[in-house]
Amino acid sequence: MKNFISNLGYFFKEAGRIIFSNKLSNIFTFSGTVLILLMLASVVAGWNVSSRLVGMLEEEAEISAFFDEDLDQKEALELAEKLSKLDGVRNARVVDESEAYERMKEILADDAGILELFEHNPFKAYIEIRIDPGRTESIIETVRGFKEIGYVRDNKSVLKSINDIIRGIKTIGTLIIFAVGITTVIIISHMIRQGIYNNRDQIKTLRLLGASPMFIGFPFICVGLFMTVAAGILTSLVMLILINKGYQIMGGSIPFIPLPPKADLLLGVTLVIMGVSIILGTIGSLFGLSSIKDQ
Amino acid sequence: MIEVKEVSLRYRDGTLALNNINLTVGDNELVYITGPSGSGKTSLLKLIIGMEYPTSGTVKVMGQEISEEKSDELRSLRKKIGPVFQELKLVPGRSAMENVMMGIRFLDFSGQEIRRNAADALEKVGLSHKADSMVENLSWGEAQRVSIARAIARKPRLILADEPTGNLDHDNAVNILNILASFKQKDTSVIIATHATHLIENQKNVTIVRMNQGSISVEKRGGKE
Repeated sequence: MKNFISNLGYFFKEAGRIIFSNKLSNIFTFSGTVLILLMLASVVAGWNVSSRLVGMLEEEAEISAFFDEDLDQKEALELAEKLSKLDGVRNARVVDESEAYERMKEILADDAGILELFEHNPFKAYIEIRIDPGRTESIIETVRGFKEIGYVRDNKSVLKSINDIIRGIKTIGTLIIFAVGITTVIIISHMIRQGIYNNRDQIKTLRLLGASPMFIGFPFICVGLFMTVAAGILTSLVMLILINKGYQIMGGSIPFIPLPPKADLLLGVTLVIMGVSIILGTIGSLFGLSSIKDQ
Repeated sequence: MIEVKEVSLRYRDGTLALNNINLTVGDNELVYITGPSGSGKTSLLKLIIGMEYPTSGTVKVMGQEISEEKSDELRSLRKKIGPVFQELKLVPGRSAMENVMMGIRFLDFSGQEIRRNAADALEKVGLSHKADSMVENLSWGEAQRVSIARAIARKPRLILADEPTGNLDHDNAVNILNILASFKQKDTSVIIATHATHLIENQKNVTIVRMNQGSISVEKRGGKE
């Protein structure tokens, strides 16, 4: 450890030498890493925004359970209470006749006058159940099993669409992150392998002098880390500009998109990119280091 | 210090480099290995430092058997050896000082000791004034001395020098041999492989190992150095 700390300056200097000894190739590697991280950052930012959208869509997933007209208000409230405790149910509340009437009036808007043709309020009270869209089928089955429930309006096709959109967004995001991770690891490990090959004589000499694999390999780990962290910093700066610009455009022209607070998004993207840079840089370097044995 | 027992070394291409040789080197010994090119001098040194492994027989250095399976032990053994390679193996793009320091950074020295040992070693080989010169800008003789400085800065128990006088004129060659010989101390042995037999004709209190076609004969010379 004493040696390690006193050699830190040497390790960093060696890492710098390795980078600058093959400038052109490393510039390409750096540029490639920045572009890949930019892709990742875009996915992360998009994911952040879409997770709000997904959250909203999930909140909208609901079924309506119509109960026996014999139930009084207290019994209806007790039934809603029971339903709210079911697995996969986020919330259940009684919508009484007058609220149902007001909602329809709101939906019909300019055509709401048609409701005045009725002598009495034609709408029944029901229980509005907000559910996890991934568990629609099982919840509907359970709700139907309650003897007090007469009819369940499930909006299955809407719920299915919501669920498909959510799954689609999550799958595409996961695939892109996976692909970006693997690509970065390959690029960095290839760069390290190239560095090791270029310095093979020095590595052989150090081994003959009794240097440990850690001593020989640490400058190469530093190279991988420097390159990815520098790429991460540049990517974060570019994202700062892009997100600022994006908020100006999207916030103004598409106001219904639920954008998260800008500072939160910037912080989230920067943290993910820097964290991923460090992790991928280390993994890539360690993979690349395995070629030291061949020298 | 070194025990070579019935060792043969055959390379993959079938060349028999060493043929059933025996050799013992004690502490505080100065050994010259001589013989024509291709006689097996370098092969013997390679076995001692663990660059090659015997086809048959055993090589023990400081009690440690040289074996491919014992890489950790081999690494710690190499830390006790100061090698001077025939082809020098200096790292280009670094100064003489950096090359010497690079050879001792992973040994048990503090940061201050590393710098001090390197400076002392360069002074001993008369190259203090070239400490900051890039090794590729040095003459062969100077580079040779940097290589020796790297070996002695390690404070090794065994110095192995392979053809350290190659490509040098007579005066420089004698100078290099004298520098190396001066490091034979209480617990340090020095082994020098050279084909320049005329340079060691009058050496006293040394062991001369003569090699020829993979076989050896040993002559122990007494007298005052």
